[in-house]
Amino acid sequence: MNQEQQLKLQSFLDGELPESEAREILAWTQRDSAAAGLLAELRNTRAAMAKSEPHLSVPETREFFWSKIQREIRRLEPSKKTAPEISIFAALRRFLFPAGALAALVMILHFRGSTPATDNLADADTPTVETTLASTDATTYRDASEGTTLVWFSPAADNSLVPSKKPTAIN
Amino acid sequence: MSDKNYSSSDDESLVKAARKGELAAFEELVFRHRDKIYARAFSMTRHEEDAVDLSQEAWIKGWQRLGQFQGDSSFTTWMTRICINLCLDHLRRQKKHRADSIEEMDDESGGVERQIPVVAVNPTAGLERAELRQKIDAALGQLSAEHRTVLVLHEFEDLEYKEIAKTVGCSMGTVMSRLFYARRKMAALLAELKNEKDR
Repeated sequence: MNQEQQLKLQSFLDGELPESEAREILAWTQRDSAAAGLLAELRNTRAAMAKSEPHLSVPETREFFWSKIQREIRRLEPSKKTAPEISIFAALRRFLFPAGALAALVMILHFRGSTPATDNLADADTPTVETTLASTDATTYRDASEGTTLVWFSPAADNSLVPSKKPTAIN
Repeated sequence: MSDKNYSSSDDESLVKAARKGELAAFEELVFRHRDKIYARAFSMTRHEEDAVDLSQEAWIKGWQRLGQFQGDSSFTTWMTRICINLCLDHLRRQKKHRADSIEEMDDESGGVERQIPVVAVNPTAGLERAELRQKIDAALGQLSAEHRTVLVLHEFEDLEYKEIAKTVGCSMGTVMSRLFYARRKMAALLAELKNEKDR
C-alpha cells in the first residue's frame, strides 16, 4: 500500500472524500485485509481520542492567575487613550473664530474700499495697526502708501500680546 | 467600575458588560473558562509554565479584541482560537531555536509511519474514561509539537483538514501526512502502554 492510498483511507475515515471516491475506498477495504486492518487501527485511535481530552486545571489560584491578567490589562489601558478627544467648542474656537474674523475683515475692507476715500486721504501716508474685532483677536496692519494690508490672528491666551483693542495710528 | 456580582450571569451578558469596560465581568469569564483555555495551551506545548503564560496572554488579547467578537461561535471557541494562534506562534519561535527543520522531520516521518506495524487489537478497549484520558495524555506527550498540533486541532477542536492547514499555515497534504503519522504513532504508543500494564 503506498502513501497516497494510506492517506485516502484516512480521508475516507474523516469524511473528507467525495461520495464517489468514498464508495471506491469502501469496496477496496472489503476485499483487501491490509487496508481493512489499517482502517480499523485508525478508527480505534480516533474513537479513543474523541471526548478523551485530558481534564486539566490551571496550577494557580484564581486570584493569582487573574492578578497578572488584570495588571497587564490596566497597564495597557492608558495607551488606548493617548489621543484626547477634542470638544466641539474647542474646535469651533480654534478654527471657526479666526475664519469668522477673516470674513468680517474682508467685509470691512470691502465697505471701506467702496466709500469715497476722503477719510483715507487724511492719513494716507500713515501705516496703521488695528484690531478689527476685539473678541476674535484679529489684528490688521495697513500701510496705504505701500498699498499693503496684513492680517494676523492670535490665540486667545496671547491676548496680552495684541497691541491694542482700539484702532491705533502709528506715526 | 461597578462591584456587581456576575456569578449568575450567562456568558453573553458577561461579554456585553466586559465590552463596556466592566473588568469584573471579564474576570468572571476568565474564572469560568480558564481551565479549558489552559488545557488547550498545555495540550499544544506540553509545558506547564508556558501553558499558564500563554493562556494568560490569550485572556489579555481577548480583552483587547472583545470588540471584534461577533458571536458567530461561542465565547470559549473564540478564546480557544486566540490561544491556539498564540501557541502556534510560540512553537514557531521555539522551532527557530532548534536545529531540526520541519522539512527534515517530514522527510523522516514520510517512511516511518509505513514501517509501524498495524495494531490489530484495540489497545484502549475496556479502559475506564479516566484511565483512557491518562494514557492519551501520556502518548500525546511523546509526539513532536508539529504532529501533536495537527492531532489536537483535528480530534479535540474538530477542525477539518482545510481549516487546520489555514490555521497552521501549511498545505492540506502536509496536514494529512502529519495527522496520519500522529495517529499511527498514537496507536503504537497506546499499545505499548497497554502491554506495560498487562506485564
